[in-house]
Amino acid sequence: MSISQAMATSFKTELLTGTHNFSASGGDTFKLSLHTSSASLDASTTAYASSGLGEVTGTGYSAGGGTLTNVAPTSSGTTAFTDFNDLTFASSTITARGALIYNSTDSNKAVCVLDFGSDKTSTNGDFTIQFPTADASNAIIRIA
Amino acid sequence: MFEVGINLPKTPIVSVTTTENRGHKPEEIVERCLDRIIGISDQAPPAIRDQAHAFKNAIRPLLVHYMKEAVNSDRTTMYNVLRENGHAEVAELIRRM
Repeated sequence: MSISQAMATSFKTELLTGTHNFSASGGDTFKLSLHTSSASLDASTTAYASSGLGEVTGTGYSAGGGTLTNVAPTSSGTTAFTDFNDLTFASSTITARGALIYNSTDSNKAVCVLDFGSDKTSTNGDFTIQFPTADASNAIIRIA
Repeated sequence: MFEVGINLPKTPIVSVTTTENRGHKPEEIVERCLDRIIGISDQAPPAIRDQAHAFKNAIRPLLVHYMKEAVNSDRTTMYNVLRENGHAEVAELIRRM
């Protein structure tokens, strides 16, 4: 059991079929679910499921995770990228090792798996996921 | 043939910050905010890099000030909602925070 950070292979295929819309206005709804170190998530993960993926349980966290706020896709140089606002699970008591970003508008299809590097725990507090700077070198989703 | 790269590195790319028995302080949130507003590459020309760092340092206290003002203003709203709904004691606790 492990979480291996990767873009979902199915997501790459779905990009070629125009499945996902990351627009800030009128785009699809993307969500982020949290998972424990007992989860098995990697590039072969194709969709979020409410069972069997080692999802976190605890105060301040509901199955399915939180809704992300899309930041309008843009480009710099020859690289296109998109981004999400930081996400906080407030007043929570949870422990997570990684996350899954998925498209809840389209059958919960997986976008990518994120590894936190170690277990992260909040106790009656905030659990905040901070996305990298939205630029051509660091943004969470980049097409170069 | 064209090849498009979209892979993620194996090392963590998102940061996770957590708290225990409290929320994040305005100063902690401001650091996250600054990281998002100003991304400074180590490879940037020194003059540009220094200017970006200087700007970041200049706006830090300003952001902290306005963030604290937002927190206090929200507490005022909470105080009034609680008081108007018959929770004067709880409202007073909020006011004293």
